[in-house]
Amino acid sequence: MRPFAAGTERDLADAVADWARGLTPVIAEAEKAGAIPRGVIADLGRLGVLGMTIPERDGGLGASSVAFALVLEELAAAWPSLSVGVAVNSGIVAGTIVRHGTAEQRAQLLPRLLDGIGLGAFALTEPTSGSDAAALRTTARRDGEGWRIDGRKQFITNARYAPFAIVFARVGEADRVVASRPGAPSPAHAGITAFVVPLDAQGVSVGPHERKLGLHASDTSALVLDGARVGAGAVLGEEGKGFAMALAGLDGGRIGIAAQAVGIARAALSVARAYARDRKQFGRAIGEFDGVRFPLAELEARLAAARMLALRAAWLKDRGRPFTRQASMAKLFASEMAQKATHAAVQTLGGNGYMRDYAVERYARDGRATTIYEGTSEIQRLVIARSLLAA
Amino acid sequence: MKILIPLKQVPDSTVRVSVAADGKSIKTEGVTWSISPYDEYAIEMALERKDADASTVVAVVTVGPARSRDALRQALAMGCDEASLVVAEETAAPLAVARALAKVVEEAKPDLVLCGKQASDDDQGFIGPALAEVLGWAHVATITKIVPADGAAELWREVEGGHEVWKAKLPALATVHKSEKEPRYPSLPGIMKAKKKEIPERAFASLNVDSSAPALEIVAMEPPPARGAGKILKDGDAKQTAQQLATLLRDEAKVL
Ligand SMILES: Cc1cc2nc3c(=O)[nH]c(=O)nc-3n(C[C@H](O)[C@H](O)[C@H](O)COP(=O)(O)OP(=O)(O)OC[C@H]3O[C@@H](n4cnc5c(N)ncnc54)[C@H](O)[C@@H]3O)c2cc1C
Repeated sequence: MRPFAAGTERDLADAVADWARGLTPVIAEAEKAGAIPRGVIADLGRLGVLGMTIPERDGGLGASSVAFALVLEELAAAWPSLSVGVAVNSGIVAGTIVRHGTAEQRAQLLPRLLDGIGLGAFALTEPTSGSDAAALRTTARRDGEGWRIDGRKQFITNARYAPFAIVFARVGEADRVVASRPGAPSPAHAGITAFVVPLDAQGVSVGPHERKLGLHASDTSALVLDGARVGAGAVLGEEGKGFAMALAGLDGGRIGIAAQAVGIARAALSVARAYARDRKQFGRAIGEFDGVRFPLAELEARLAAARMLALRAAWLKDRGRPFTRQASMAKLFASEMAQKATHAAVQTLGGNGYMRDYAVERYARDGRATTIYEGTSEIQRLVIARSLLAA
Repeated sequence: MKILIPLKQVPDSTVRVSVAADGKSIKTEGVTWSISPYDEYAIEMALERKDADASTVVAVVTVGPARSRDALRQALAMGCDEASLVVAEETAAPLAVARALAKVVEEAKPDLVLCGKQASDDDQGFIGPALAEVLGWAHVATITKIVPADGAAELWREVEGGHEVWKAKLPALATVHKSEKEPRYPSLPGIMKAKKKEIPERAFASLNVDSSAPALEIVAMEPPPARGAGKILKDGDAKQTAQQLATLLRDEAKVL
């Protein structure tokens, strides 16, 4: 009856949903203030949500990707801004450290992602490189024992809350240990390396909090690296292999964004459904008009399909099978579905749909980001097409 | 200190209950079940003791149908240490339930038994005092705080304008009105741990309780009468309206 999800996975998600229902009174204020209250992050730590993806041997819960996707759906249904912060912290940041960190890095960094004090950040995008992430310009130079990093990262989720960020920077030709073969042109991503940069390191500062269409309580800020000094132990994984690590991180992250889009769409449609039953015009419930109920029916089908795509990708990931294409398909389909669903919800509520008193306008604004971050819809089509047409 | 909490699984407060076809019970299909809210306060109060002193053991027990296991699992997920189930598919008479619980208490030997002050389904508030009576233990009702005091416990109650503090030698039984904090949500690791715990069960009949208790029979259940339309006072100036309102509140609503 519930393909891909086991009872335990569902139980974890139900527990989070139960807790998240209690957030309703703080959401409006937090969205206005543009910040997630620290107490809410502390609760997520205490409940074990932040550590759920981290293996047990590293102090986490070691839950499956399926469970995490279900939890992100629940968080997004309750409060999209919160779900983005958790997706980045416990999905892409924790995942990258678990996969590539040394025992020492894991012991030092993972506890800080689950303690409920902050939320980790993943810094890839720059003012001149978004979709074409391999064109990043941030540089890392050897400096004594450690490194000196210079550049500017843009649109970084959680920057303001982060104990540290995973920063992708290019190690220049002169500083590279392994030079590329003489004569062969270096690929665009040559030298890109992942560094763990504590936010309190010398030369690191956070730019102003961006003012956005939606996700107001989620922090999105620039990260400025002006001669940032980090030690030799700051290199995560292999030097020069950072770009592949970023792509692998994004593969997993996309499942989370798909789940988030599903949660947002589900919440918006559920408001619309209740409204369509109650609201009367021309002497009957508006839900009796095909113009109102057919879009809701259509979207219910797409919602279910999107959830299955997300869970299938998570299920493959849990089994160590390739899932890049499936994650991109899930992210593409779910995020585009969420646009239609949130717009249909606004339309169903008419004037009320446009008003702050009903959450659907917020779901429409918040959901808009899902077709953009962690790779735009166009980039997902590119990923799918490449894998589809590869020999 | 060992604390035992007898709890009851009841329809969740969000469920709209309706009367079943027999006219004597509520419809149970599709009902979401939860731990009765005052029992949750009792659990939270016990867990706060455990937070303060890790040697505290918190156990829960229920007498009820097999589905009550979910409520026990929930209590374990919140952080309780042990749970056990006495299976009674038929609703037993309240005094027989108290007697069954007394057997469990005699075996488990807790220092303190905490009951919710009443279950939110029938609101009788019977089991706590009845259990104390069967056990022959001291009983303090509707407490809001426990302070351990060397072989005894201070039991705080809220009274008009202040607090009353009772001191009871242990073992004792108290019914709980409210905990200091809201009942905690189960943590995800708590849920995983709870899944691995055994919940021993036994049949109600195996306890051989004296069931000569006065039997209760539910004769009929009816939903409350539908609420009539509200009244809007719109004739007259503010003074007249206020006067009309005062008259209605006194003579009709009888709240003044
Ligand atoms: C709320 C929010 C949070 C974010 N958080 C983070 C974060 O934590 N860390 C981080 O590193 N980044 C983050 N980002 C950045 C995000 O990943 C980028 O915005 C995204 O990858 C797109 O890059 P861009 O904005 O530079 O757009 P561009 O790459 O300039 O794209 C502009 C348009 O051109 C299209 N386009 C580009 N190339 C192609 C192509 N080859 N074929 C077809 N169309 C193409 C795009 O699809 C898009 O429609 C965040 C963004 C937002 C909005």
